[in-house]
Amino acid sequence: MLLAKDRLNELLDHLSTEARVYVPARIETQTRFALYSDTVKPNFKLVNTELPPKDILFPQTQNMYRYGFDAEGVPFIDPIHDADDVVIFGARSCDVRSIECMDDVFLTKGYVDEFYEPRRSRLLLVAMACNTVAESCFCDSMSLDPNSAPAADIQMSEGDQAFEVTALNEKGEAALAAWSSYLTEGSIEHAAVSCELKVEMTGIKEKLDHMFEHPIWESVSKKCLNCGTCTFVCPTCHCFDISQENRMKIGERFRSWDSCMFSCYTEMAGHHNPRAEKMPRVRQRFLHKLCFFEDRYGKSLCVGCGRCVADCPVALDITVLIDQIGAAELTEGAVHDA
Amino acid sequence: MSVVEASEGTQKATVDANFEPTILAIACHWCTYTGADLAGMNRMNYPPNVRVLRVPCSGRVNPQYILTALNKGCDGVLVCGCHPGDCHYVSGNYYAKRRLMAFKRLLEYTGLEEGRLLIRWISGSEAGKFRDTVTEICQTVKALGPLSTSEQDALTAFSRSAAGLADINANVGAAAGFASAPEPNQADGAGE
Amino acid sequence: MSDIQSQLRARAAELLSSGEVVQVIGWMDGRFENQTTPAFIDRPEDAELLVFNEYCVNTTPKYTLYEKEHGKLAVCVRGCDSRGINRMIKDNQILRDQLYLIGLPCSGVKDRKTGELLIKCQNCNHRNPVVYDELLGDAVEEPQVNRYDVVERFEAMERDKRAQYFESTFNRCIRCYACREVCPVCTCRSCFVDQVNVGWQGKQNNLAENKFYNLTRVFHIGDRCVECGECERACPMNLPLMAFNRKMVKDLDDLFAAGEAGLDAEGTHSLGTYDVNDVEEFM
Repeated sequence: MLLAKDRLNELLDHLSTEARVYVPARIETQTRFALYSDTVKPNFKLVNTELPPKDILFPQTQNMYRYGFDAEGVPFIDPIHDADDVVIFGARSCDVRSIECMDDVFLTKGYVDEFYEPRRSRLLLVAMACNTVAESCFCDSMSLDPNSAPAADIQMSEGDQAFEVTALNEKGEAALAAWSSYLTEGSIEHAAVSCELKVEMTGIKEKLDHMFEHPIWESVSKKCLNCGTCTFVCPTCHCFDISQENRMKIGERFRSWDSCMFSCYTEMAGHHNPRAEKMPRVRQRFLHKLCFFEDRYGKSLCVGCGRCVADCPVALDITVLIDQIGAAELTEGAVHDA
Repeated sequence: MSVVEASEGTQKATVDANFEPTILAIACHWCTYTGADLAGMNRMNYPPNVRVLRVPCSGRVNPQYILTALNKGCDGVLVCGCHPGDCHYVSGNYYAKRRLMAFKRLLEYTGLEEGRLLIRWISGSEAGKFRDTVTEICQTVKALGPLSTSEQDALTAFSRSAAGLADINANVGAAAGFASAPEPNQADGAGE
Repeated sequence: MSDIQSQLRARAAELLSSGEVVQVIGWMDGRFENQTTPAFIDRPEDAELLVFNEYCVNTTPKYTLYEKEHGKLAVCVRGCDSRGINRMIKDNQILRDQLYLIGLPCSGVKDRKTGELLIKCQNCNHRNPVVYDELLGDAVEEPQVNRYDVVERFEAMERDKRAQYFESTFNRCIRCYACREVCPVCTCRSCFVDQVNVGWQGKQNNLAENKFYNLTRVFHIGDRCVECGECERACPMNLPLMAFNRKMVKDLDDLFAAGEAGLDAEGTHSLGTYDVNDVEEFM
């Protein structure tokens, strides 16, 4: 099916009446998925947005419940489940894969997160095939395809005059049926793109299994500043911390993103900190991306979106690191199972 | 936090006449707190909107106290200490002066309305000045209106809403959110 | 500049092979064109990796904090770096004799994507290092700039507009703390942000907490800020952080003749001292 470009905003206006529609857009100095409105229109020229769409499903600060005593002195606990129908319109393959990763974390292995699940189940995920790639994109090295995102509900690709729209599952078919007045029959030729930046991932995971004590971590972590930029712009970093705030007899418990780059991430009672230095923190982040997650969920936690590559203030580049790991020698003393 | 969006306050052509601001007065133990005490002993009247927080010295006033106050429910902050030269600890108020001069400018630069943060030197004998200063900031802030809620977090907004308000008003002595607020009888020592 | 680069490589190799220093902190090429990344060279044969060009965007002083434990360090310093080093010496973070400073005159660094001079360099008035053990190349001419330009523009705005602008600025902050981590002045062993049990800084990302963080950071470093502009460059959200830092610097200079920080390693900072004759406005 085809969606003519000049009918795109009509469709989005229509969708906005029933759901919160997020589109890639530039908001002042940054690009992100923003709520579609009269002033916020989708911009598909952005290869991928500087900020990923993860905060739509997993907000940086999410209120979980309020508690306290009401005006009559009766104690109360009110859970906060604030889910609306949401459409993410125009996610790239990397962002779709990142949502798969978050699904693994929050919905599988016998645990369903009650704050993630309602948002996820009411999400319509519309993927957009890439027409160009950024210099820092390397998703096809991470076994993704910039031209298609099978985990989305609907796949779109952009032509000169129209978008081709294809449903990938039942939810997508139902959505397309509802959009039928905006669609016409037809198809377009999408010129497949591939990333210029390539990394060789073969054997990296198996090698990392034995590199926990390898000296490479000491040298790669030197330039790291331990800021949280890479973790906060990462579409798959999902660590959070639960805190509360009290006002007199009312309080609120919330969870907020945390970063394994911060010293307080692992700090325990009595100020013991198993990762007090830079090196173990850097090691943790990269091993989690490239090794530990694969152990548990069978896929890499790095989706090759290149956001950390582009944004790291000191150019600590995960693709360079992967190359270094590939070239590293496993010496006798350095081998230690992760 | 605090500062910035006070914008809305001035944009409102009319401020709710029933608005009663919450003012935090940070007072140094040796001068201003004693002055407030004297105002009380002399049965001076001043607006009950003020909550007094006693600190050892104005030099102890961390700028974060001011930010926190504006963040968590106060509409204005008054910081008072000994006159220059009179500091019990010799120089605390000289440091405070430099610090607060710079900090006030920074807050107003980022958007706080002039008048929401007031700093005054008030000695232990200046009960009248304490009364006048408190009256001044209450009137100014009342005219400015509430600090716009966008400056304050959702919980403050909630606790200020009907559900939370009744309970909070029952504890007049303590400004919302301040664990270390003085006991009501101490704080009110200067008051009624 | 390539001449300076070859001198730099030669000197780094000499310093390392003579054992005078254990490490040289400078820059090397990154993966992409016109990209550099901080380099830590500890073998003379690796000195060839060092580069010095108009894309060396990172500043070096903060790394001395982590690397000083290895022994004496050679650090490449331009104007901004050298002022950071001075400030760190003044703050007792490092001793002057732990450092061998290789001075490099700088003509400003450029954004690798646009090729334009970085904002931090457009407002720079100290391109030559103010302290060094040896200077490679010839000193360059210091530009005459009005570095308070940005502050004056904001000050001239109506308060409502300015408030709105800064509200949007704080709203966009993601609190990654990159501004803190790159800053040569942010050297607290335990930052107020990390004192989670004390509860200065809430973990929520909202306007209130973001403003609390940013204003506290600005105020805490304002009297010692060496105006290197690295916080603004590092910010992944491109927030105009120097508009705050410079406001502090300007006010302190106006009020207390604080001058520019980091020009020498002596004396104190303007909020760490007082003068009984200070202007009085709280009477």
